[in-house]
Amino acid sequence: MSQVEHDDAGPPAASTAPGAQRPKRPRPSPFLVGGFAGLLAMTIATGADWEFGIGFSLIEVWDGFTRSNSPMRGLAEIDLGSLLGSRARDGFLETVQMAVISTIAGALVALPLALFNSKLGAPNRVAYALVKLFNNIIRSIPDLLWALLFVAAVGIGALPGILALFFFSIGVVTKLTSDTIDGIDHGPVEAARASGASHLQVLRVAVVPQVLPAYTSFSMYCFELNLRASAVLGFVGAGGIGAVIDFYRGQGQWDRVWGVVVGFLIVVIVVERISMALRRRLL
Amino acid sequence: MIRFDQATVTYRGGVTALDHVDVEIPDGEFVVIVGLSGAGKSTLIRAVNGLVPLTSGTVNVGDRDVGQLTKRQLRALRADVGMIFQHFNLVDRTTVLNNVLMGRLNRVPSWRSMLGWWGGDEVELAMQSLEVVEIVDKAYIRAANLSGGQQQRVGIARALAQQPSVLLADEPVASLDPPTSHSVMRYLQKVNRELGITTLVNLHFLDLAREYADRIIGLRGGRVMFDGPGSAADEKVFEKIYGRSLTADDVLEAEASL
Amino acid sequence: MTGTQAPTAAEKRFEQAVRPEKPFNWFRLIVTAGVVGGFLIGALSVDANWPRLTEMPGELWNMAVLMFGELDLADVPDAAESMWESVAIAWLGTMIAAVLSFPLAFLAAQNISGRVSVGVTRQLLNVPRAIPEIIFAVALIPIFGLGPLAGTIAIGLSSTGTIGKLSAEIIEGSQRGPIEAADASGATTLQRIRWAVLPQVMPEIIAFWLYRFEINIRASAVLGVVGAGGIGTMLQQNIEFREWGTAGMALIVVVLVTIVIDTVSGMIRRRIIRGPKTKTSSARDTRTDAMF
Ligand SMILES: Nc1ncnc2c1ncn2[C@@H]1O[C@H](COP(=O)(O)OP(=O)(O)OP(=O)(O)O)[C@@H](O)[C@H]1O
Ligand SMILES: [Mg+2]
Repeated sequence: MSQVEHDDAGPPAASTAPGAQRPKRPRPSPFLVGGFAGLLAMTIATGADWEFGIGFSLIEVWDGFTRSNSPMRGLAEIDLGSLLGSRARDGFLETVQMAVISTIAGALVALPLALFNSKLGAPNRVAYALVKLFNNIIRSIPDLLWALLFVAAVGIGALPGILALFFFSIGVVTKLTSDTIDGIDHGPVEAARASGASHLQVLRVAVVPQVLPAYTSFSMYCFELNLRASAVLGFVGAGGIGAVIDFYRGQGQWDRVWGVVVGFLIVVIVVERISMALRRRLL
Repeated sequence: MIRFDQATVTYRGGVTALDHVDVEIPDGEFVVIVGLSGAGKSTLIRAVNGLVPLTSGTVNVGDRDVGQLTKRQLRALRADVGMIFQHFNLVDRTTVLNNVLMGRLNRVPSWRSMLGWWGGDEVELAMQSLEVVEIVDKAYIRAANLSGGQQQRVGIARALAQQPSVLLADEPVASLDPPTSHSVMRYLQKVNRELGITTLVNLHFLDLAREYADRIIGLRGGRVMFDGPGSAADEKVFEKIYGRSLTADDVLEAEASL
Repeated sequence: MTGTQAPTAAEKRFEQAVRPEKPFNWFRLIVTAGVVGGFLIGALSVDANWPRLTEMPGELWNMAVLMFGELDLADVPDAAESMWESVAIAWLGTMIAAVLSFPLAFLAAQNISGRVSVGVTRQLLNVPRAIPEIIFAVALIPIFGLGPLAGTIAIGLSSTGTIGKLSAEIIEGSQRGPIEAADASGATTLQRIRWAVLPQVMPEIIAFWLYRFEINIRASAVLGVVGAGGIGTMLQQNIEFREWGTAGMALIVVVLVTIVIDTVSGMIRRRIIRGPKTKTSSARDTRTDAMF
């Protein structure tokens, strides 16, 4: 207690303390200075008009948007009627089909991978490291790049789109779920081990039940992502509503492009609302 | 002078937290307000700087009627009335000095305070305030790294930096341990005595109230049950304010001996 | 237990009390039916060339052999330069989004702005969030021509929605106490934001900018597919013209750079959130030590 009194208990009503010195203003921390310098250097290097820069200029941006141009004229004359045509309807249907199939298949594969992708669930270090590496590589390949590869492998159409979203889903769901596994309660795991369960049995009875709600929620989140992603796969020939957008764009019919985009927006927002409501109840 | 005239506050939901309160507090007085939880202590204090608007009646601070002020005038009044909080309400992630400088916001041009361009005078004043509560050595430390008692002293310094004529403190020691509580109360007393700042403090420990108050106001159900010098507030009076006999929870020292 | 004897009434009651009937799990049935049914209906109705799926593993293997069997180091400088352009697009785009979303985030935060402002801004932020970058990019190419400028603006606009929404949530999560203290000292709304809210939320918001930069690198790596700059063009053309060695090298560069930037940026983010390490946490410790 004596230390406390010394630290906190000031003297009774006396005049201001003569003792304590005012501290000097400290220098800003090296992290702060370095971070700020890095930010500035990076922005100048990427934005300036030199060999390795983009040459970003606000004037050019302003000119671009204020000059008359076909996409913005199309936006003004947006044609929502295009949504009713059979081309758009088939495109939306295909987009949803692709998202459903690939999410379900991807999420099923992701569950065992997620178990192996966590310290707790991996049977040994080698499996852990391999799965981790595999997953990191999968995740660093963007969805559209998957689509490019699969179009090259199996030709254009919905199939390469489904395959692309399938691999993309594996990456997303595995990562999110394995992060959750690392944070679960170890009690049940120990209890299962103590009763002599094998490693797989432990995973089945003690780990999976704990992560199931989170896993389901991530899978639904992934469905949202896939729906959104499927709008662009068409640009490389992998089907879905993106193909319809690309078609109208090729024709220069921007009013129809925007019509389809608005329809897509509504689908995405509605699905997101429903999915978020369901996910909130799960967790 | 602070004057409550038939001051009444009814919250949405129908709770009447202040019920026709008439109180007059002359300049320079050290007033402690006691009462059970829910008695209306916080409401009384917050009515002074307009954080809680009255439903009817008036509060005057000096010659200003709090209910009649424009937004700008209300900010000027708040700048003139310092406030200290139970949970200190410091910004954890910034320095002690920046927290204290918050007390100067109303006195510097808005655009300069946006840039954090404080004049030398402002910093000097903040430093002096920190010196009053003897914590100037921590000026450049992040507030998160201080102990509870130290944080409350910074809270006091922030209020002092406003150069206020009135100081409000809403249960300033309720989150602190007994020795630290006394230390904080002594700083408040010192500020009151030396700088002549009218001080209103909410407390729920009776012994602390009796030890530091010039005057005690007892509230119960939003009504003033007692109003008199600290020395006159004996056990009988407290039982009337609390509407029950006293327990160990009502005094600080009992807790300390646990 | 009781052998072959008929159970007594008491035993019957005993058994009924202890063993409840297994409840039928409707929820599980519905979910299973939904998942299996959805998959089957989708798979049967979709116009996909399923037979080609059987060729997929072989094709993938051939591609992998071609890609990584013919790697040519001479392709590295080209790939690196294109990847740098992708990184530049991601960085500048993130910066644009940070600047645009910052004021919007405060307008969308319930503890700062009024109900109307919150409602309107939220809806405004929802739109770019739902539209993929590529669609922004194809709409911007006729305006700014083929090249990285269209990609940069596309990334900037589409990230504004996400960053704005998340920043607003971070702002709403800030502590009320300091805001109340600022009010009590007579601060204006702007001053309150600057001195009571910003110091609380800036670390999280900046960390999220960085996180978004990581995500935007993935996006900008493919923008070139539609001609909006970056390494995507190189990937697309070399895959299309079956220059497998060059495509493979570009792919390797994308994966490596992405993983490296993820790692570095992740470290910086954690440091920002954690705040500086301090030597002076002793005050609080002594107090608690002394109390117990
Ligand atoms: N913002 C509010 N909205 C509705 N009712 C409120 C509000 N603030 C306080 N009240 C009610 O008003 C009454 C008085 O509250 P007040 O906070 O003034 O009491 P107090 O004496 O400070 O109590 P405590 O010791 O618990 O802080 C209580 O019944 C409380 O529930
Ligand atoms: Mg209170």
